[in-house]
Amino acid sequence: MSARVVVLGGGPNGLTAAGLLAKAGLQPLLLEARAEVGGAAATAEIHPGFRAPVLAHTTGPFRASVLDALGVTGVELLRPEPRVVLLHGEGGALPLFGDPARTADALRSLSAADARAWPALDATLRHLGRLAAAVCDTVPPELGAPKWSDAVPMGRLGLSLVRLGRGDGQRLLRYAPMAVADFAAEWLESEPARTALCALAVTRVLAGPGSAGTTANLLLQAAAGDGSAAGEAVFVKGGPGALTAALAARVQALGGEIRTGARVAKLVVRDGRVAAVGLDSGEEIACRAVLSSADPHTTFLRLLAPEALDPDDRERLTCFRTAGMVSKLNLALDGLPQVRGLAPEHAAARLLLADSVEALERAYDDAKYGAPSRQPLLEVALPSLHDPALAPAGKHVMSVHVQFTPYPLREGHWDTQRDALAERVLDALEQRMPGLRARVLARQVLTPLDLEREWGLTGGHPTHGEMSLNQLFVGRPLIGFSRYRTPVPGLYLCGAGAHPGGGVTGWPGANAARVAIADLRAG
Amino acid sequence: MPQRYDAIVVGGGHNGLTAAAYLARAGRQVLVLERRHVLGGAAVTEELFPGFKYSVCSYVVSLLRPEIIRDLELPRHGLEILPLDGTFTPMDGDYLWRTNDHAHTRREIARHSRRDADAYDEYGKAMADMARFVKPVLAMVPPDPWAPDWDAVKSQAQMAKRFMALPRADQHNLLQLMTTSAVDLLDRWFETDVLKATMSASGIIGTFLGVRSPGSAYVLLHHYMGEIDGAFRSWGFAKGGTGAISNAIAAAAREAGVAIRTEASVAAIKVKQGRATGVALVGGDEIDAPLVLSGLDPRRTFVSLVEASALPADFLAEVKRFKFRGSSGKVNIALDALPEFTCLPGAGSHLRGALSISPSVDYMERAYDEAKYGDYSKRPYIDMVIPSLTDPTVAPPGKHVLSCFVQYAPYKLREGTWDQKKEAFGDAVVDTIAQYAPNIRDIILHRQVVTPLDLERDFGLSEGNIFHGELSLEQLFLLRPVAGFARFRTPVRGLYLCASGAHPGGGIMGAPGRLAALEAIKDQARGRA
Repeated sequence: MSARVVVLGGGPNGLTAAGLLAKAGLQPLLLEARAEVGGAAATAEIHPGFRAPVLAHTTGPFRASVLDALGVTGVELLRPEPRVVLLHGEGGALPLFGDPARTADALRSLSAADARAWPALDATLRHLGRLAAAVCDTVPPELGAPKWSDAVPMGRLGLSLVRLGRGDGQRLLRYAPMAVADFAAEWLESEPARTALCALAVTRVLAGPGSAGTTANLLLQAAAGDGSAAGEAVFVKGGPGALTAALAARVQALGGEIRTGARVAKLVVRDGRVAAVGLDSGEEIACRAVLSSADPHTTFLRLLAPEALDPDDRERLTCFRTAGMVSKLNLALDGLPQVRGLAPEHAAARLLLADSVEALERAYDDAKYGAPSRQPLLEVALPSLHDPALAPAGKHVMSVHVQFTPYPLREGHWDTQRDALAERVLDALEQRMPGLRARVLARQVLTPLDLEREWGLTGGHPTHGEMSLNQLFVGRPLIGFSRYRTPVPGLYLCGAGAHPGGGVTGWPGANAARVAIADLRAG
Repeated sequence: MPQRYDAIVVGGGHNGLTAAAYLARAGRQVLVLERRHVLGGAAVTEELFPGFKYSVCSYVVSLLRPEIIRDLELPRHGLEILPLDGTFTPMDGDYLWRTNDHAHTRREIARHSRRDADAYDEYGKAMADMARFVKPVLAMVPPDPWAPDWDAVKSQAQMAKRFMALPRADQHNLLQLMTTSAVDLLDRWFETDVLKATMSASGIIGTFLGVRSPGSAYVLLHHYMGEIDGAFRSWGFAKGGTGAISNAIAAAAREAGVAIRTEASVAAIKVKQGRATGVALVGGDEIDAPLVLSGLDPRRTFVSLVEASALPADFLAEVKRFKFRGSSGKVNIALDALPEFTCLPGAGSHLRGALSISPSVDYMERAYDEAKYGDYSKRPYIDMVIPSLTDPTVAPPGKHVLSCFVQYAPYKLREGTWDQKKEAFGDAVVDTIAQYAPNIRDIILHRQVVTPLDLERDFGLSEGNIFHGELSLEQLFLLRPVAGFARFRTPVRGLYLCASGAHPGGGIMGAPGRLAALEAIKDQARGRA
């Protein structure tokens, strides 16, 4: 058969799907619009001799089962201890370790009660995270015309919930829709400890800690990782680009083909099936199936002709929330910054800068009215501590996620606000890292608009669409589209816009490949 | 009076009275104990200023279950519901006026947006579909996944089947309703800001949420459910004030043989060897009964009235976690004349409906922001009615009663106490109204400000929450008030929860009262109570 299986997009999910298809002998063709693969998980030179994680600086972590299945070797996943440090106030620093006993030690000076509560919180999240992981592994059920084959995995999930027992089962049902501020307040009393949990839960969502459903993000983080309440902070040696490069190498080794610089303009549907992929260049590539790791808006509203979808489905898709909230600042530094209050051996962690739960909520309030946060939540990583090769000797790169910077601005335009944003972030960093500004050799600022234009992320959303309760599981991206299959036969969604969402895990890619391979084998 | 009954109902609110009536109709000797001098709880009418009858707390009705109206023959016992026609939203120089006259409302919305006028019909149909799906849940006893019984499994399976059979668009809408914000939901249909603001207001009532907070869409539906295929098609007033509803239920209960005592404050629910045995009154009297139904909220029931040693520690811990966080207050005003709105002067029929101070979505959201950080809204959302225009019995001729529901008034203030801030809060409400109806200041004869603290102290509502606990997703259905105890039963045998803190929640619905009584009767028949 000459018609190929085509994968759109060379991000972690596209590469995962292509790798698994290749392993199944389907010889996929992966098309990537940019000059290099990696998508939002890439490492690139930001200044001569300085390489930084362009967008994501940690991974979810990436599924070990996918790495095993594809035979990826040589990727070094690093779990720093502490995983996360909350930097609060003038000089406060609260380290969160993967080992709950060490976190409890760190909490003791803040609150004896919190030191006692932490191990129980950690254990609860691990326990609930295991069930959440099982949910993430499951293809959501078909709601329209349920099949018996759905009954088995759904029944299994139902049983797992019953097996969790009344206590934890009830907790899971209560926690998922809860605001993380309430969740944190139930477990912990000290402000820094609460702030740390809240900051973890609102990363990459357009929500404040008081918004319902934010606790679900903690559970999803627990599901992806080892479940530790510290949250995941898994770095890749060489930056996330090292992971995607290794995946790409395996795709090719397994018989897949990768074409970069191939921008897809349209999906051609013939006789009710996806039949070809049309490139910007005018070239058409005949195909028997397409797995798209582009976001749902791009896949369904831009690449498909309007008549290929039911008008009601199209209308529902336009309501899929894709307003981005995060900007990126990458810095080339001529030396390691000094961070006030931070133990030098803790500098390799994911550093979160937030003063209080209220400060986080106020940061969100600004975004609610279409303005960047005056006091943003900052998430800082120093990747050159994990891999000195990323910068010249003695020099460093710093990667900063800035929240909230809403994609829809009420006043002004992101193209003219880029520098003001960078200045504001540098001001905030300077307060905790005196002398930082003087060390900056070069900077790269990426706003939500850049994320949209350069990486094709509609609305600049880092996870292809808000991870809110209505956009998870059967609702991701939409009821009727959540099983990786779409209303167009032969077209599959395999990116972060599909269950279980974003975060450099490879999860949607792997689940979608499983579904597509089964269909292709069945003919 | 005998000191022994078949059943005692603690609290003479509308749910307690409903439970008592159903128990008595099943042949039980029932006693209702009410702490105050009047019946009705938060569904009460009081003449606090001569000639003016205030519906002190709850002021409109729609959710009252039709089967209760039927079973208890409430119209025969004096219940008369008068129509509340539409909602008028004054703006700066303009207004939005929706009424029960469909053609009028369409024309009016088209004045703001032609597209929205069309969408209004589609939205109405979609909400009716949703409410039709959810409504049976109101009459349903929630399941307990960790102790499944056959009935529950069957009703769950039926619900799943009904959901599967819905058109995909309805499934989508239901998912959004259960999880998103009121504004997100309305954004799909409408573009007119003031329309979205006014409609989203139903999503925050009684809840510490903003109109953009996820979860508020459900509360919107909760308030919409009364409008469908029930005994009356929309919101209305009870003739004589909201207390008339409680009085009608009380009359039905008395006719069925219920004994009712007011000014009888329960100090404790007695428990022996895990069974409820009766109550002890303030003052020392004890009354025995094998069945006790509490019409109080979960915190007052389990933390204040039951000895801690009689309850499992983890259950008690969950009860203490149950969120109340009252968010609203009430301002009741006796008026010498009618308010005159700048944007639509005169005593037109717009005054006969709800008057909603909700000029924009941002206005609503900013009102919430103030409350989030522990202050009452200086420019609050206000839902007002002038019942005296429809029901002349509540005010002297030519005079009027203005009943203002005000949000946000957070129970926990960051600075000061409610007793200190009470009148300033009342002033903020009057100032806000005066922005749209400047003559209000000159026509006030008497003003009563009800703060969340007053709701707690005077009406026994913990933290002033009008729904006996927030209607947030984690506190609904099988989680209300505590998972495993959402079936009106409690860890104490013979003790039942029969009010808004149980499924399906708050509002003058009567559903928890009826369902709890029926469950208790069922348990006795099985020899389990």
